[in-house]
Amino acid sequence: MASRVAEFLSSIDRRYIFLLISLSVVFPLIFKFPLPVAISPETQALYDRVDSIPDGSTVMLTFDYYPSTLAETEPMSIAALKHLWRKNMKIVTMSTVGLGGPSIAERVMATMAKEFNRTYGIDYVNLGYKANYTAVLLGLGTSFRAIYPTDFYGTPLDSLPMMQNVDKYGDLKFIYIVSDNGIVDYWVGLANAQFGASMGAGVTAVMAPKFYAYVRAQQLVGLLGGMKGASEYEFLVGSEGMATAGMGAQSMVHLTIIGLIIIGNFAYFWGRRRR
Amino acid sequence: MSPQTTQMFEFTLAALLTLCIFSYLYRDNPFYRFAEHIFAGISAGYYAGLIWHAVIVQQLWVPITHEGTFSLFVPGILGALMFTRFFDRISFLSRISIAFVVGNTAGISIMQQLHGYVLPQVSDTITGLETSGTWYALVGGWVIFAGVVTTLLYFYFSKEHKGALGVTARIGIVFIMVSFGAHFGYTVMGRVSLLIGRMQFLLRDWLGLIN
Repeated sequence: MASRVAEFLSSIDRRYIFLLISLSVVFPLIFKFPLPVAISPETQALYDRVDSIPDGSTVMLTFDYYPSTLAETEPMSIAALKHLWRKNMKIVTMSTVGLGGPSIAERVMATMAKEFNRTYGIDYVNLGYKANYTAVLLGLGTSFRAIYPTDFYGTPLDSLPMMQNVDKYGDLKFIYIVSDNGIVDYWVGLANAQFGASMGAGVTAVMAPKFYAYVRAQQLVGLLGGMKGASEYEFLVGSEGMATAGMGAQSMVHLTIIGLIIIGNFAYFWGRRRR
Repeated sequence: MSPQTTQMFEFTLAALLTLCIFSYLYRDNPFYRFAEHIFAGISAGYYAGLIWHAVIVQQLWVPITHEGTFSLFVPGILGALMFTRFFDRISFLSRISIAFVVGNTAGISIMQQLHGYVLPQVSDTITGLETSGTWYALVGGWVIFAGVVTTLLYFYFSKEHKGALGVTARIGIVFIMVSFGAHFGYTVMGRVSLLIGRMQFLLRDWLGLIN
């Protein structure tokens, strides 16, 4: 009997598994079930550092991600923006990703500026994208204007009130990186190691394990890992959004996958024993 | 056309393309390939336009013609030399540009890796052993130290992995496996997040079934 079950499980069409995973996502999204949010030390550290920055300071928020990872990264950007603007900070945004980065920054900033009643050029500036991120990150350490003579819309930086006293990393209190790729290595290796810029990062889950080492070595003050990290930050900011809404589905799929791994191992080992 | 109608049209187009891509889960089909080719074509076109505007126009043409920064002729010519690869007789000229890029990248990367990665991480591995914090931070420091040393020894191939070296190398494999497991777990979480994001788009933005 057990061997027949093992044989059946070994030969099951993978499309049923796809269907099961889809249902595990859809049901929790429709029939919501709230789960408690446990805050990781890395998220708490990032939140505390941002919270400790004096109100009204100038900080940088990067949009170093492609549209394909919006589900993980955009909630981080939105939660970070809410935190920064509640403290009346001036925000410089930029992107090292050409494909979508600057336009995502433009859309998110415009939407949030409306909510917080902020004005472009006074409360925030979008520098946009420049090719060759190593040259860009190195150059920003000495002069923003050398790399970005104009902002994303072609306006000279000198004519933007917010940028009058901002021209290098040293003029920023903090750099909040939101990324879905290895650019964090360059931010740490160039902006932090060579110019002493204080920074924290929100990254996709795929990238997160590598960057925990930077937090331990205090090269990053904190880290948000994937949708989970984004939901934790949303909770701390007190504004639960898309990441929090997705965590029920996330947990359900994880339970499903754990179950499938156990069943798959049972089928494999039982089948091997029979042979 | 009202903004709402335009938005609904955009959502419907995006939703149909998403469903075309998802259809591959059943099996390869023309709808999937149609969406895939659209994605590849649009990405290539977008990049071409972006590089033309952000690099050629903004960083080369405008500074030379409007601001008189004639020194930019040098990188401009180096860039143009890359295209000599398409002509056999003068393709060797592209090596000048490649040599510049390789040398430049190597110089920056060495500094970035050394100052940003190797030295701080080695320092943290050592200083983590004498933490004045909690006992589990101290235990964590020792675990990391053991992990770094045994993993490095696993990649030491000048001596056969027998005896004490064999034992430490096998411990190193355990650390490597734990690392692979953590990466795999996070990768699953990341991929599931992307699926959730698409489902949220389909159910909320397009169909309006959830808030």
